[in-house]
Amino acid sequence: MEIRIAGLRKHYASEGRIIKALDDVDLTIPSNQIFTLLGPSGCGKTTLLRSIVGLESPDAGEIRIGDEIVYSSARHISVPTEKRGLGMVFQTYAIWPHMNVYDNVAYPLQNRKVPKEEIRRRVAETLAFVQLEGFENRPATKLSGGQQQRVALARALVAQPRVILFDEPLSNLDAKLREETRKELKTFLYDLQITAVYVTHDRVEALALSDTIAVMRAGRIIEIGSPKKIYFDAESEFVADFIGRANLVKAVVREQLSGTTIVDSAIGRLACRKGNFSPDSHVTLCLRPEFISLTRGDHPGTNVVQGTIASMVFVGDAFEGEIRVGDQHLLARIEPETDLAVGDEVGFQVSPDHCLLVAG
Amino acid sequence: MTGRHSGLTLLLIAIVGFLTICPVIMLVFGSLSEGLTATGTFTLAKYIAAYTDPALLEVIWNTVIFVGGAASTATALALFLAYLNIRTDIPFKFIFGIISIIPMMIPHLLFSVSWVLLLNPSNGILNLILRQVFSLHHAPFNIYSLPGMVLVEGLLDLPIAYLIIAPAMASFDASLEESSRVCGASTGKTIFRITLPVLRPAILAAFILCIIRGLASFAVPSVIGMPGRIYVLATHLYQMVSTGFAADYGKAAALGMSVLLAAIILIYLYRYLTSASDRFVTIAGRGYKPTIIKLQRSRIPLFLILGFLSFILIILPVVVLFYTSLVPYSMVPSMRAFSMMGLKHWIEVLNDPISLLSLKNSLFLGVFGATIGIVLSIFVAYVIVKVRSRSAGVLESLSFLSFSFPGIVIGVGFMWFFVRTPLYATIWALLIGYIATYLPYGVRPLSSAFVQIHDHLEESSLVAGASYLTTLRRIVIPLLVPGIVSGWVLMATMFVRELSLSVVLSRPGTEVLAVQILRFSEDGLWGKLSALGIMMIGVSTLLVLLVNFIGRKFRPVDR
Repeated sequence: MEIRIAGLRKHYASEGRIIKALDDVDLTIPSNQIFTLLGPSGCGKTTLLRSIVGLESPDAGEIRIGDEIVYSSARHISVPTEKRGLGMVFQTYAIWPHMNVYDNVAYPLQNRKVPKEEIRRRVAETLAFVQLEGFENRPATKLSGGQQQRVALARALVAQPRVILFDEPLSNLDAKLREETRKELKTFLYDLQITAVYVTHDRVEALALSDTIAVMRAGRIIEIGSPKKIYFDAESEFVADFIGRANLVKAVVREQLSGTTIVDSAIGRLACRKGNFSPDSHVTLCLRPEFISLTRGDHPGTNVVQGTIASMVFVGDAFEGEIRVGDQHLLARIEPETDLAVGDEVGFQVSPDHCLLVAG
Repeated sequence: MTGRHSGLTLLLIAIVGFLTICPVIMLVFGSLSEGLTATGTFTLAKYIAAYTDPALLEVIWNTVIFVGGAASTATALALFLAYLNIRTDIPFKFIFGIISIIPMMIPHLLFSVSWVLLLNPSNGILNLILRQVFSLHHAPFNIYSLPGMVLVEGLLDLPIAYLIIAPAMASFDASLEESSRVCGASTGKTIFRITLPVLRPAILAAFILCIIRGLASFAVPSVIGMPGRIYVLATHLYQMVSTGFAADYGKAAALGMSVLLAAIILIYLYRYLTSASDRFVTIAGRGYKPTIIKLQRSRIPLFLILGFLSFILIILPVVVLFYTSLVPYSMVPSMRAFSMMGLKHWIEVLNDPISLLSLKNSLFLGVFGATIGIVLSIFVAYVIVKVRSRSAGVLESLSFLSFSFPGIVIGVGFMWFFVRTPLYATIWALLIGYIATYLPYGVRPLSSAFVQIHDHLEESSLVAGASYLTTLRRIVIPLLVPGIVSGWVLMATMFVRELSLSVVLSRPGTEVLAVQILRFSEDGLWGKLSALGIMMIGVSTLLVLLVNFIGRKFRPVDR
C-alpha cells in the first residue's frame, strides 16, 4: 500500500526555542518496498513514523495510506491509531510482560474480533514464520533479546496489516545478534512483499535492508534514492558524509568532458564522476577510504595521488591508514597483511567513478 | 495524546480540588464567622479570641519541644539504623525490613497506650516492677511528661524517617568516600566530611516530614499529653471543639489556620528538597554495592542496641496489650496474675453495642473507602505520570497538598462544610474526609507503578487495534496490580485506624474504632481498650493478607 505525505509539519517548543521536527515534509512511500528513514538523532525521522501510525499528531499536512486519508489538517481528519490497521515494531519491543507469547501475538486479532479458532491457526502460522514454534506458553519475560524481537515482529504481522513500521528495532541488540537479526528481517520482509517503513540512524542497517532510503536532516527530507545511489552518487556533502566514511576535499571545477568532470583539488588534478557543475564553481570532492588502494613508490598514469603514510591503526579486518598529501590528510583502508609501514612513500590510482563531486 | 485526556484531567482537577481545597476554604470561611449555625456574619472576634488566649504561649512552647524533639529523635535513630543496615556487616539484616513496615501493623494510638500501660506513674507495669524490686515509694518514671511524649512520638516517626534515609544511603556512590580515604581521611572523618553532607537533603527531608507528622499527631498528645495536662496545638484545638457545652469551631478554625499554613509551607519545602536531592545524590544505576564496613568488636554491642530497639518497637506493645486484655486489672506479671487471666474484657467488648458498631463502621470505611480511594488514585496517577500537560501539573500539586493536612484542623474545615449538607453526622462524611486526607497514600504507589509501564507498551496496544478502554483493561490495569495492592493496603489500614480526623467528624451512630479506643483510654478502661485494640490490629492484618491473596490471583502469568 502506497503512503503519500504532503506538507506535514510538526513544531515543538523546547526551552524557549522552536524545534522543527517536521518541516513541511512531502514524501511518497512506494508500495511493497522496504523504505528507510535515515538520519542523525533529532532529525525528525521518529516523529514522521509516529505521525504515520497516529501516535503523534502533526500541526498541519496530510497523510494518505492507500486511498484512505488518515490525517488531514485541512479536512479535520485524524483517524485514531487503533483504526489505522497498521503493524509496528517498537524500539523497546513493548512485549507485554504480564502475557505469554501466544497472548501477545493473538492480541491484534482479538481486537479485530476474529473467531477463536482462526486466531489459534493464524498465531501458529505467524509464530512458525518467525521460527518460534512451540513458544506459545512461554512467559514474555523469559525470552532472549532476539526472541523478543521476533515476537514483536509476529505481533506486528499477524493481522496482515496494510503497512508495517519499524522504529529502530535492532538498536537494543548486541552487535553480533544485530547482524543476524538484520539478515533474518530482510528474508522475512522479502518473503512478505509488504510496505515496510523502517527508521534507523545506522547507515549499515539502512544500506543492507532497504529498497529505498530517505535521508532526513532537521525535519526535512534531503535526499531519496536506492542504497547504491545514496552511497555512490549522493547529491549533498551531508548525505555523502553520513552514509559512509568519506574524505572530503575542497575542489574547483576546471573542465567538463564527455564522461568526466576535471577538478583541481588540494590533492591534485583529478578526473571525477560527471557532475552538473559549471567551470570555476567550488565543489567538494568525496573519496571513500575503501576505494583507495595504496602501493609503494611512484605511480605512472592518470588520476594518481602521491603521499606519505602518517599513521596506521590496526582494527582487525584492516589497517586504518592516514596519508599526508601536501597539507591534506586522507583516510585509507590498508589490507591487514600489508608490508607498508609508517613513513613509506605511497601512491594510488583512483577511478573517476569513485570520485564523487557534491555541491559546496 | 494530550487532547484526548484534557477532559479527564479537568474532571479530576474538579474532584481532587473539591476534596482538598474545599475544607481549606471552609476553614478560612469558618474562622471569620460567628458560629456553625450563624455563618455569613463577618467577624475577626475568633482570631482575637484564639490568639490572645493566655494559655497559647505555653501550648506553642510545648508544641515546639514536642515536635522538634520527636523529629530529632526519629531522624537520628533512622540515620543510625540506615547506616548499620546498609554500610556495616551487622547480623540479621532482615530485622530492618520489619522495622520499616511496622507502622502498617501497630496503630499509633495503641502504641501510645502500650507505653502508658508500661510507664504511667500510678500502675504502669514497668513502674510497679521497679518499685517492687528496689522498694521505692514513688514510681521512677512518669510517661505523662514532655520527655515521655517526645520518646514515644520519636519512636513512632522512626520508620518513615528510615524509609527516606535508607534508599538515599543505598544509592550513595561509594567512590565519593573511597576518594576521601585515598586523600588520607579516616573512616570517622569521612562520615562527617563526606557521607553526611552528601546525604544532607535526604536527612533534612526526613526531619521535615517528621515535623509535619508531629504537628498532625493526635494519638500521643491525647493519650500521653492530656492526662499530664501537657497541651500541644493538636490537643488545644481538640479541647475547643470537644467540650460539649461550649464547642467553639470558629476559634479552632482561626488557630487551625496557622497550623495548616505551617504544614503546607513545610510540605512544599519537603518536596523541593526531595526533588533537589535527585540531582544532588549521585546515583549509579549499575547495581554496584557500597563498601561494607567491618564492625569487628562493636558488632555485638551494636546488634544488642538494634535488638532492644526492635523489641520495644514491635514486640513490647503487642505483648503489653495482649496481657492487659486478659488480666482483670493492672498488675505485675506473676503467678497470681496468670491464674486470674480470663476473657472477661473480650466478652464485655463483644457485648458492647457501641464497640461493635465502631468495628462495623471501621471495617466498612476500610474496605469501601480504600476501594473508592484507589479507583480515584489510579486515574490521578495516570494523568500525573502519563499525560504530563500543564493541567496535569496542577493536579499533581493538588493531590500532594493533603499530604500536609493535620487531621484535626482539616476535620474542623470539613465540619463547617458538612454541617450544611445532609451528609452531616453520617458515615459518608467520614468517608469523604478520609479519602481527601489520605489520597496521596494511594497516588504515590500508583505513580511509581505507572512510571514503570513504558509508553511503548500502551502504544503498541493501540497500533494492534485496541481501543483506549481495551488498552486500559488488558494492558495497563494488569501491570498495575502490584501498585494497586500496595496502595489499597496502605489506604485501608490508614482508614481502619484513623483517629485525628474522626475525633472531629464522628458523631453518635458513626463511632469508629480509634475514637472508641480513645474513649476507653479517657475512662481508664484499659482491659476493654486492649481487647478492642487487638481486634483492630486483627482487622488490619486480615485486610492486608486478603488483598495480597487477591492480587496474586489477578496475575495471569508468573513473573
